[in-house]
Amino acid sequence: MTSTATTLAWRNIWRHPRRTILTIAAMVFADTLLVFMLGLQFGQYSMMIDNSLRIFTGQMQVQASGYHDEPHMYRSIPAADKLAQRIRKQTQLDAVSPRAYGFALISSDTRTIGAQVSGVDPHYEPRVSTIPGLVKQGRYLGGRMDNEIVVGSILARNLKISPGDELTLLGSGRDGSIAATVSPVVGIFESGSRDIDRQMLSMPIDTFREVFSMDDQAHSIIIGGDRDQADRIAAAAKAALQGNEDLLLLNWEALLPGLKQAIQADFTSAWFMYAVLIVLVAFGMLNTMLMSVLERTHEFGILLALGVRHGKLGRMIITESAVLALTGMLLGMLAGGLLTWYFLVNGFTYPGMEAMSERFNIPSVFHPEVSIRSLLPGPLAVFIATLLASLYPIWHMRKLRPIEALQAV
Amino acid sequence: MRINSFLIFVTLLLTQQSAAASGIDAKGIIRDAIDHFRGLTSYSEMTMTIHRPDWERSMSMNAWSSGSKKTLVRVTAPPRDAGNATLVLDDNKVWSYAPKINRVIRIPSSMMSQSWMGSDFSNKDISRTDEIVEQYDHTLLRTDDIEGHKVYIIESIPHEEAAIVWGKEISHVRDDYVELEHHFLDQDMQTVKILKTLDIQKKGGRMFAVHQRMNMLEKENEWTEISVQQLDFDREIPDYLFTQSNLRNPRE
Repeated sequence: MTSTATTLAWRNIWRHPRRTILTIAAMVFADTLLVFMLGLQFGQYSMMIDNSLRIFTGQMQVQASGYHDEPHMYRSIPAADKLAQRIRKQTQLDAVSPRAYGFALISSDTRTIGAQVSGVDPHYEPRVSTIPGLVKQGRYLGGRMDNEIVVGSILARNLKISPGDELTLLGSGRDGSIAATVSPVVGIFESGSRDIDRQMLSMPIDTFREVFSMDDQAHSIIIGGDRDQADRIAAAAKAALQGNEDLLLLNWEALLPGLKQAIQADFTSAWFMYAVLIVLVAFGMLNTMLMSVLERTHEFGILLALGVRHGKLGRMIITESAVLALTGMLLGMLAGGLLTWYFLVNGFTYPGMEAMSERFNIPSVFHPEVSIRSLLPGPLAVFIATLLASLYPIWHMRKLRPIEALQAV
Repeated sequence: MRINSFLIFVTLLLTQQSAAASGIDAKGIIRDAIDHFRGLTSYSEMTMTIHRPDWERSMSMNAWSSGSKKTLVRVTAPPRDAGNATLVLDDNKVWSYAPKINRVIRIPSSMMSQSWMGSDFSNKDISRTDEIVEQYDHTLLRTDDIEGHKVYIIESIPHEEAAIVWGKEISHVRDDYVELEHHFLDQDMQTVKILKTLDIQKKGGRMFAVHQRMNMLEKENEWTEISVQQLDFDREIPDYLFTQSNLRNPRE
């Protein structure tokens, strides 16, 4: 039974080879485009995330509960250096660095500006942040106890200072006492993130602790490492936190919710475009199938007169569509996968990306992603839309009655 | 007869108007409250206590004020903070001195709403100039009777063009010009913080709010209290006190 329908379907497909091939080609083209675009997008997103996190945030952070929502100085991590050491041991990762933050009035000879001061460990900071490597003038911080400062480039410009000048800091310490110090500027960094360059300066963590009355505390322990290994690192870090109910481990989604939202918004708007593409291909398929059904009205009439059921004809038509759609999907995935793979190996860039790379802080060459989530969704959506499009010709065919169909030309 | 009744009518009208005017002169009440608080000059010794969920800290300080704009505050204890001082010369001219670094820093006007020495008071709050009188529109919302006193509840909305961070402020002023409560509301008219008077005593020859607490809303555990131990009004205070050089090298 089924085999006759299948045989007929197979023959019908090759009745007009050119039409069939064109239809498949349209699907392959759409699928290739979808696979490639998705791969490109995912590659771009992961680059964006990595680069944003690499500047300052790190892959995850340990913080006292409540600090992230309301960063009050007294919400700190006690014995932070020991805890950081324990996390390094548990995660077998060197990229673990404690940080303390405070707010102070920063005064040069001519200007006073409010800015965030971060106390960092000069030894471990380069492993969780790109800032130490982005010092454009002077040098980065030396020892943990040194009294010195590095300043963001825009802040330095606003304060009208250069390396060698002194800055006066005036703020309040963790215990509410007055925090004040005079420190020489040893370097000016340009992180590429305007926010950071405009409102941040760093000093060695032990100096910071002395000025801001922090003892051995910190506000955050930054954990770097590879994002592919985030789950393993998170589990190990959690183990190191055992017994500290007041401390939380925050992943990048929690630390930078804006980045995640931007990605989601971009992804949603991209899918509107993809939907248009998918609908266009589906209409192409609808056209092909409708034509092939209409031109066979006479033929269907004969089959119906011979006693073939509508159901069997329907199965035949759907088989034709399915073969076309499946061929299109497989070839599309193959072509798209190969195209993406080529750029995965060789890197991808397009005009205007220089400007974008500055804005989103991504390198001007990036590598698209080849994975199930980039390969499957597009072609699968085209496949389903195509099958749905073949329902109309079937519905049309079911209305045929043998006599009228035989009379049709 | 006709003239007589006309005169009576006019007299009635005039008295009514003046009664109405004195009854709802909200701006006058605010001005009087500030004058009452500052005097011509004032000298006070007080303690500020900052309370947080896991710690509490007190500082002793002396304060001088002159006229409606000038204020000098100098921390006297604990030793770690002693010598830190703040000078206010105008609505937006505030300098801070830290002895540890021996520097005077002008607080930029963008920082006026930031916390003053880690407390719940802002740099703006401590200056407490008469800025509110002229830069705001004042309306009497209602008059309450509390313990034999009339209390005027006055709403003050900053002028459109005034550089004020608040959406409005609401003051509860007793008829002897002691302020009982002061509410600060943001631009969305949500209350942000409330200054409450906890104790009123006769000090320096007048009834005075000697114990006040500033409370961030919805944070029962975070507040700053100021209690006044010593208060002296209208004594002679030399003008050189309110200079940057005196801020750095105190002569008194």
